Amino acid sequence: MAGRSKIVFDAVRYDYTPPGGAPVPALDGVSLAIAEDEFVAVVGPSGCGKSTLLHLVAGFLPLSDGRILLDGRPVGPPGPDRGVVFQHFALFPWKTVRQNILYGLERKRGLDADTRRALARRYIEMVRLEGFEDLYPAQLSGGMKQRVAIARTLATQPDVLLMDEPFGALDAQTRGLMQEELLAIWSRRRKTVLFVTHDVHEAVLLADRIAVMTARPGRIKALVEVGLPRPRDRAVIRSAAFAERCEDVWALVREEARAAEAGVGQMGATEAGGAR
Amino acid sequence: MGRRDRRTRLADAALGAVLPLLLLAAWEIATRFALVSSFLLPRPGAVVVRLAEEIAAGTLPAAAGATLLRLTVSYGIAAVVGVGLGIAMARLRTVRWVLDPVVSIALPSPKISLLPVLVLWFGVFDTPKIVIGVLSCVFPIVAGTAAGAAGVDRHLIWSAENLGTRPGALLWRVVLPAALPQIVTALQVALPIAFIAVVVAEMLTGGGGLGGGLIEATRLADPAGAFAHLVAIGVLGFLAMAALRRLRRFILVWHEEEQRQGVII
Amino acid sequence: MRRLLHWLLRSLPVLLMVIAWEAAVRLGLVGAALLPAPTTIAAAWWRLAADGDLLPHAAASLWRATAGLAISVAAGVALGLAMALSRTAERLVQPLVTFLYPLPKSALIPIVLVWFGFGHGAQIAVIVLGCLLPVVLGAYNGARGVEPALVWSARSLGARRAEIVRDVVVRAALPDILAGIRVALALGFVLLVSAEMVGARRGLGFLIAFLGETGAYPAMFAVVVTVMALGFTADRVLLAATRRLLRWREA
Repeated sequence: MAGRSKIVFDAVRYDYTPPGGAPVPALDGVSLAIAEDEFVAVVGPSGCGKSTLLHLVAGFLPLSDGRILLDGRPVGPPGPDRGVVFQHFALFPWKTVRQNILYGLERKRGLDADTRRALARRYIEMVRLEGFEDLYPAQLSGGMKQRVAIARTLATQPDVLLMDEPFGALDAQTRGLMQEELLAIWSRRRKTVLFVTHDVHEAVLLADRIAVMTARPGRIKALVEVGLPRPRDRAVIRSAAFAERCEDVWALVREEARAAEAGVGQMGATEAGGAR
Repeated sequence: MGRRDRRTRLADAALGAVLPLLLLAAWEIATRFALVSSFLLPRPGAVVVRLAEEIAAGTLPAAAGATLLRLTVSYGIAAVVGVGLGIAMARLRTVRWVLDPVVSIALPSPKISLLPVLVLWFGVFDTPKIVIGVLSCVFPIVAGTAAGAAGVDRHLIWSAENLGTRPGALLWRVVLPAALPQIVTALQVALPIAFIAVVVAEMLTGGGGLGGGLIEATRLADPAGAFAHLVAIGVLGFLAMAALRRLRRFILVWHEEEQRQGVII
Repeated sequence: MRRLLHWLLRSLPVLLMVIAWEAAVRLGLVGAALLPAPTTIAAAWWRLAADGDLLPHAAASLWRATAGLAISVAAGVALGLAMALSRTAERLVQPLVTFLYPLPKSALIPIVLVWFGFGHGAQIAVIVLGCLLPVVLGAYNGARGVEPALVWSARSLGARRAEIVRDVVVRAALPDILAGIRVALALGFVLLVSAEMVGARRGLGFLIAFLGETGAYPAMFAVVVTVMALGFTADRVLLAATRRLLRWREA
């Protein structure tokens, strides 16, 4: 781990309160330090709160307890210092590709119209969407939509990039292409990335380190150093080291996925009890 | 359902009562200190007394009964005809070809302007009131049903056919149930429209009913009577819609209706 | 050319019905006193228009409808958004809206007429009373249904609260607002015509009632057709505007 910590989770807890019910702990005692320019993936069984973790950093949800520090200062409400990419893209459907990318730039101080246009053009080129600038999201394929979302987020030059299962809604082929593209972009302009996924292969392919979470309430079960060489490309998946690392992580996730499955029945029981 | 929940619900109810109570207080103050002529606005107490008197005398229940009968008959006819035509439109090309332009012209047009024509044809008694009620609310039902029945998932129909469902049974067993949520929505939209039309018809063609009583009280410069009828119409409308909501929940228990939740900004 | 042909084919049933109507009257199957032939109605319409009787009434009705609808849209969108964005506003107003929504607004016509007299004010007030709630509910439901991720992404792109309301909430609620306006438009016409028939000295509703009472049935039918055509046209114009505003929805 080189460099100082960019993001620090310190005993983070988050209680989820369902409408008209008692609070349920979703995250309990999550501690983790992410270094400057490090790419950390978070994996875990569904419902373990990995997306919640990301939403807490983004400032969408309030912490129940603990601290999250960004550059040593507690994170505030959502802002352009933390760029977010969502699973379902969250593009403004009434804006064209260009207008979507310009939106964040227009909210930045000190950029004149020409600079904004030039920046938008550069990021459109970066995600290879030249010629599609004036289309609406409804006219794009899933992969193209996510490329717009990534360009929109990167264009505002956030300090950290928070990606919430960004390729989860794409078909397998598109997902593969998008992973390669993200690797290429990231190697050109390094950034601190927190990447939530349920796909172990994806985590090993992209990340420097992988945080494996427990079943609910989510905690960090293990931290796995990926240790594959950088810069990486898709060829790495044929290496023995890649297969080995996937096996390691999958073994950890499998235990928790089993626990989560068993916990569903248990959860029903506690919720019935709590509803009394 | 915790204690907290009950307390928030109590707070909700209290907050919801603020505006009606304020309006009522303003009404009382305005009339008590004669800020508004009692010819324009009767005192709340006078309206309550009048309501009690008219209920005791049986005049208000009789008027409400007449209106309810006209509403029920016209709404019933519109529901049967509207659902039938809507499904026929969705399933049969010829019916769709004939009805499509008719519905698209008739749906947004103010059918109430036909009332004098109906009086010319049917006289001033129950018939024109019922017919205007049917005309006013049948087209939303046709359009809603047709959209619902046309939108039934093809896979559902294919799998039913694959399981050996005959064409006749397909309609009853698959198309109708699958389109039911949208049909019931159309029926819910149509009810207040029929009510509006029946009340206007009663106001313009007489023959009793709540609308007739209301216009008569206005003509006789009897504001308490007019407001008593207005309250009765409001209560009847509210009860009719509540009954329909209940019916919806009863009919659609099997259907998981989407619950939208707000987002905090 | 193809579009014209398509349109003709689509309207053919209506054209056939009009021809059948004309034939039925000409052949004496229907009494001409009860149902004048379409050509008779057209002639009566032409006379009304040429004598200058139609235009002032149509202008009065259209002015009332436009003013009433404009007020309803402005006030309704503001109120609906306030209800969706503020828990307090929601809890304050929603029970009243729920109670008033099913009230047949036509019942308010006589009372509004007593209050506002027989001029434009009363007719506009009737329209507003009828049109407000559909717009309120459209804006409220639309704004409540905004996808949280859109609000979140606007926030993390640096948008402030007011900007989110303007750029995200209103835009996302627009389809529901326009649907509410469409309901309000239809309802507004019904209430306007009703109020004009009950008590007005101008307007198309008044003209229908007046011509009916004096037994000028072809002319009455001509005005009825005019009112229906206006309602239909207004709806078409709104639909076209909706399609333009929601262009982004079509893939």
